[in-house]
Amino acid sequence: MIPASNILSGWSLWIALFGACLGTYFCRAIGVSLSQWINQDSEIFRWLAAVTYAMVAALTVRLIVMPLGLMSTVPLWIRILICVLSIAVMMSKPTRRLVPALLTGTILMISYGVMR
Amino acid sequence: MSSADQPYIDPSELPLEEPVAERFKSRHDAFWSGIKAAAGAPAMVLFAGMVGFGAMGKTNGFDIWFTTATSFFMFALPGQVVLLEMAITGSSAIAIALAVTLTATRFITMTVTLFPQFHQRDRNRSLYASVHLLAMTAWAISMREFHSIEVKHRLSYFMGLGLLCWLISIPGTILGYFLAGMVPAPITLGLVFINPLFFLLTFTEVKPWINRIAILLGCLFGPLFFILNRDTSLLTAGLVSGTLAYFIDRKFLRKKPGVIA
Repeated sequence: MIPASNILSGWSLWIALFGACLGTYFCRAIGVSLSQWINQDSEIFRWLAAVTYAMVAALTVRLIVMPLGLMSTVPLWIRILICVLSIAVMMSKPTRRLVPALLTGTILMISYGVMR
Repeated sequence: MSSADQPYIDPSELPLEEPVAERFKSRHDAFWSGIKAAAGAPAMVLFAGMVGFGAMGKTNGFDIWFTTATSFFMFALPGQVVLLEMAITGSSAIAIALAVTLTATRFITMTVTLFPQFHQRDRNRSLYASVHLLAMTAWAISMREFHSIEVKHRLSYFMGLGLLCWLISIPGTILGYFLAGMVPAPITLGLVFINPLFFLLTFTEVKPWINRIAILLGCLFGPLFFILNRDTSLLTAGLVSGTLAYFIDRKFLRKKPGVIA
């Protein structure tokens, strides 16, 4: 527990939340207004889709390879091994296997936590 | 008919953007299909993430109203975590708002790549309300499904999908708040891991080569830029990888027969 004096509290905390919500919504709203001008067959659309996928990929890999807190106590090779096994389940059947693959990875991670 | 029932077809053999026969009978049907699509993996992932967030709020001494309001009004997990982390270390409200906004920039391109796929009739001011339901989970599913949904039903499908994702995050946060400290470490590991795993798995379903290359490059540049500068790394890694992928596609792939664009 961190001493309360270090924590932003009272009104300033709610003001921070208000600012954060405003900023987050602002980004969503800019997206809407820009999207009015963009055609889904255009070059800029293709480029932006690639940029977005790359951003999501960068975030995902960061969460797996360079996690903070509890996850960082799990060895990197275990994290990568579990990812590989889950992807194997995902690709093992041509039709959709998202939920089984997700469960495989989660259960493996929990089992590792129990066994260590 | 859901696409899960279809036999597997090599994506490179599919004709480009083939117009589909009606997948849904009505907007109502599309909306409920969206809800149903959300009720599997996306809800699991968001719920787990929000339980983790609720627990984080409780263990750091925030009250339940503040923690829950964050999920309700922001509905963007990475930004919510930044908000709590910075509030704990006593950053100023302005600094917090700016840092959170920076993490939310991904919504700009997510919206710009998703919303032009709606029917012209649906692209009006009401989208400024619907956009709050957009998060990474709903985006990933919509990008995957939209090509097989007729244009006029896409918004209803997205609304069903996004609404359930948003609504599930509130009980998730509250549950996490009350369970904090009681959850054994192995379960917490599972809860934390399910989020990145979901996105990793959805990448295997991305078909266009330009986006596959972008994902691969993003995986390489992401950690690299993170070491260079933590706050702007997503934006820079995304721009560099996406632009490279675009040019690789434009120069080499686009004219090749059999390559899905």
